[in-house]
Amino acid sequence: MDAETMKMLGAGLAAGLGMLGPGIGLGLIGLGAMQALGRNPEARGVLLTNMILIGALTEAVGIYALIVAILLAMVV
Amino acid sequence: MSKLGCSSRLMVILVIVILALFLTSFVMGPLGSKLFNIDVPRELQISKLHVALPSEAMFHVGGFKITNTLISSWVTIILLCSLFFFATRKMKVIPGRLQSFAEVVVDGIHNTIEGVAGPKHVRTFLPIVTTIFLYVVTNALLALVPLWGTWGPVEHITEGSHSYTVTVPFLRAANTDINLTLSIALVSFLFIEYLGFSRIGPFKYLDSFFQFSSLGKSFADLFKGNWKSFLSGFLFGFINIYVGLLEILSHFIRIVSFTFRLFGNMTAGEILLGVMTFLVAFIAPVPFYGLETLVGFLQAMIFAGLTLVFGVMAVTSHHEEGAEHN
Repeated sequence: MDAETMKMLGAGLAAGLGMLGPGIGLGLIGLGAMQALGRNPEARGVLLTNMILIGALTEAVGIYALIVAILLAMVV
Repeated sequence: MSKLGCSSRLMVILVIVILALFLTSFVMGPLGSKLFNIDVPRELQISKLHVALPSEAMFHVGGFKITNTLISSWVTIILLCSLFFFATRKMKVIPGRLQSFAEVVVDGIHNTIEGVAGPKHVRTFLPIVTTIFLYVVTNALLALVPLWGTWGPVEHITEGSHSYTVTVPFLRAANTDINLTLSIALVSFLFIEYLGFSRIGPFKYLDSFFQFSSLGKSFADLFKGNWKSFLSGFLFGFINIYVGLLEILSHFIRIVSFTFRLFGNMTAGEILLGVMTFLVAFIAPVPFYGLETLVGFLQAMIFAGLTLVFGVMAVTSHHEEGAEHN
């Protein structure tokens, strides 16, 4: 395998494996929020804000992987 | 048939036109022509997808590069300034259209901040949170306007054996420039730290990281001759200082996180739209435009909301929090 192939393979792996963790995390956040909503429907507003905030924090991790993938594929 | 808003014949014609557009663009596009082995005429061929990560310089002013994202952000600034200038120029008790729009926006953000920060701190956060939100959301939504990111001079680039054409747009989505997101993140960071230092005092604010008071207490124990509690207090004091250092590091990591979150989301959105338009030129990208509208709004909300939450954490020191809980 030449360098170009390895780079593309690295980019794909970085994006794919890097999204794995945040995907699981976002699922867990959604699970927790839905369960809380089912038990306490009045807290919808507070739950939504907190869910989005924590979702953003989780998603940022995936974005790092995406940046690495874009850098590998297009810049380096 | 009045529910459709047009006659049923027009509806059928519209559906047929949309379907025809979709199918032709799919078959003639790079996906369909590979799939069905069609020789697309040269005029209809789509040039290779080109992604430019750093923004392109449009012209230079005294050695200072004016990039297309910078021009785009100026457009946003002019738009927002003129909107709020004209909305608040002749304010009335019974607002007109423009004034009531501005009132709805500001009042909505005001209420959201009040829900998070409490009525005491609303006025502290309102200006900067509203500015960040409106700036980011306008940047994100303007990027979806037709001609944005596509209108510009065409350059022919020859690379080895194959040549391709690249459009250098005059206007590019401002959020896809890492310098812009970094600068907003720095403003947010400085605002949060300034609030922490000024509102609860520099020593108290630093104490909320390191908890020097527990270390001081242990030395007081030493002079009293209470060896055992001195040792444990001394140890925990050092652990607290280490934890405080980590917490200060986490404050700096916020800048990186803020920067890359917005930049990554917006760049990924632009690339997604580009890829969809490249694969199927018409109709297929429309749902993705809807998605990008949502993402732009959400990212602006997240940027402003996280600034707000971190700011609230800075103005309510740890001691106050403890006092509230007890």
